[in-house]
Amino acid sequence: MTLPIRIKGFTTEVLSWKPWLDTVDVDTATPAQLAALDAMSPQARTSPYFLVLAHQPEILLQRSIAFNAIMFAPGGMPRAERELGATVESRVNGCVYCASVHAQRFEQLAKRNDVISQVFEAPASAGTTPREKAIVAFSVRLGAEPDKVSAEDIRALKQAGLAELEILDLIHSVALFAWANRLMLNLGEPVFPAAAS
Amino acid sequence: MTNISNVVDVIDAAVPLAPDQATWALRRQRDKVVSATQGSYDAMFSPAVEGLSVTERLLVALHACCVSKADSLAAHYRDRLAAEGADSGVIEAVDSGEPVADARLRTVLAFTGKLIERPIEGDRAAVQSLADSGLSAPAIVAMSQLIAFLSYQIRLAAGLKALAAAEAAA
Repeated sequence: MTLPIRIKGFTTEVLSWKPWLDTVDVDTATPAQLAALDAMSPQARTSPYFLVLAHQPEILLQRSIAFNAIMFAPGGMPRAERELGATVESRVNGCVYCASVHAQRFEQLAKRNDVISQVFEAPASAGTTPREKAIVAFSVRLGAEPDKVSAEDIRALKQAGLAELEILDLIHSVALFAWANRLMLNLGEPVFPAAAS
Repeated sequence: MTNISNVVDVIDAAVPLAPDQATWALRRQRDKVVSATQGSYDAMFSPAVEGLSVTERLLVALHACCVSKADSLAAHYRDRLAAEGADSGVIEAVDSGEPVADARLRTVLAFTGKLIERPIEGDRAAVQSLADSGLSAPAIVAMSQLIAFLSYQIRLAAGLKALAAAEAAA
């Protein structure tokens, strides 16, 4: 067990999240609300975040299908790299909670966290290999300046060895976290372990 | 059953992508993402969602796309607003970034611009301002999901446009 990273307000510690709106009560939830929660994950029924989103079950259901397809579909970009794209987007948007969750998933999948320290410190230059640097640089650009992304950026990814399906997976992952970060940042706030206990 | 082999959805139309392009076919390798993206779009603008009219939601979308310089998606929402019979003066005001007369719409658009451009500034007071303007918790969730989804849609379209441009140049 390595010590958690703590850099510039970002961390790989396990955080909790406190909603600013009332959550749906599982005991009185509609079948559509329960189906949307279960489509997300087995833990969603006990997550304040998903219980807030369950106020709009059809929207949550579609988002859950998209989320799982983007982050877990077989083939294409290795899952650790999808988590890296998600972590970079979360770092750029300042979403401490999402950055923590997806940095931990990267670490579990890749068995290392060197690039996470770099992303937390200075995302623009992060990456331990040319391939990783290309992935991070593209994630920063698509996250911060989507209107500026061009064929040149795609060529840089191909030169670093990414296949087209891997590039599509990266675009999906970064775009998905543009979505997720905005929900996490605007419907509640992260709670750090010391404050929670 | 829809035949997925030749359908052009909202994302395809915005990029634009046609079924004879390699990038269109590449996108279909992740068919669950394609259908859930379109399914999300349909859910975001469903008349079944209460508390925010479809026109209000389309104005939010137009504002989000204008702020993000996503021209083709902005055109899509402008067309939908016209088809919905929305007030052309209001569409024009949102299009050009002018303030709108309606106080509730002004609050909603201000929240949209902030969440699109500076999501880190989201705070409890902003959510409270929506509640104070008469929005219920489900309506606030619908609106937050909509704005967050637009951030996704804008980046997905931008990424696919770059892929298609690289395909054309290859």
